[in-house]
Amino acid sequence: MIVCVAVVGNQVRSDRPRPLRGGAQNNPVYLQSFTEADDALKLHHIVHCSLDVIDERVNNPKRSGPTLNETFLGLLYPTENYKVYGYLTNTKVKFIMVTTDLDVKDADVRNLKVILQNHYKYVSVLVQIPTYIMFFRRFHAAYVDAVSNPFHVPGKKITSKSFAERVSVIVKSFGSTAT
Amino acid sequence: MIGVGKAKQYANVLDKPLSRGRQEVSLSAFAFLFSELVQYNQTQVDNIAELERRLEDAGYAVGARVLELLCHREKGNRRETRLLGILSFIHSTVWKVLFGKVADSLEKGTEHEDEYMISEKELLVNRFISVPKDMGAFNCGAFVAGIVRGVLDSAGFPAVVTAHFVPIEGQQRPRTTILIKFAEEVLRREARLG
Repeated sequence: MIVCVAVVGNQVRSDRPRPLRGGAQNNPVYLQSFTEADDALKLHHIVHCSLDVIDERVNNPKRSGPTLNETFLGLLYPTENYKVYGYLTNTKVKFIMVTTDLDVKDADVRNLKVILQNHYKYVSVLVQIPTYIMFFRRFHAAYVDAVSNPFHVPGKKITSKSFAERVSVIVKSFGSTAT
Repeated sequence: MIGVGKAKQYANVLDKPLSRGRQEVSLSAFAFLFSELVQYNQTQVDNIAELERRLEDAGYAVGARVLELLCHREKGNRRETRLLGILSFIHSTVWKVLFGKVADSLEKGTEHEDEYMISEKELLVNRFISVPKDMGAFNCGAFVAGIVRGVLDSAGFPAVVTAHFVPIEGQQRPRTTILIKFAEEVLRREARLG
């Protein structure tokens, strides 16, 4: 079950001095939690800590080559109750998702699974895209639509209600279909 | 602009396909809108440099959004980290989506290491615009220069982008060149990536 999603931008914040390295600052653009419990602050802290992991992955890649450009960053940080997944868009905007599903294996999440089903006369090939990548793709589509709004200032919080509704629909549909 | 589409959402998000077909906008509608944009800015400024800057800022907003949209829709979510990669992306994909064709040419500047040029025989935005003599070297292609700057900036390649008229012998109308001058850190990063 997804408990929290966040969008973190790449803008420079005026109240923080620029780091010596010249890396992008992280300003929250959208943060929404989906539990009734009162630990929303804890979720915000988890999101904040996972930003460091993202920076580390982006700036010091483990492998070089085509995987340098991957958008889905995978499992960032497992805490005792939650798992945090990250996704990086082309403009260095980061999506972070905190979930309580502890039984989804990491291999499932990363790789496409090809399932061959033998019917009577033909064999059908079913490619299973890992569920979290589907979630992030839909989330990315919703984000692109929200940012295409000409009145949206890049770097400020997303105030569009339809974006919030779309995200909650995506999260709910995801929660019911996930194993 | 021809070929600009925005994914509108009509159905439940579960039923929506991941990438929509392109929607085209009529050229005359765009030309009208662009001429109104230029005229509106003309009444607000005192000099030409300010007018060019305003058009460029308008283009910057478009460029930032176009990059997000295109990367999600077209490129299968690969992030460009190399200079040539992002330049060829602009030269073909962005131009194709915005103007319906790829740009005429992409060249590297001979004098400086950090200069690149995209040239076009006639920019779509300039087609229905004639610049009076007393405005000198003003080029409404500043809007397109702003779009390119928006794309480059959001992708992490800060640059200064300007539009110039380049007269060609044998042709009446000059060619338009978008000059891209990258910032120091981009070149350093490029050298480091080898």
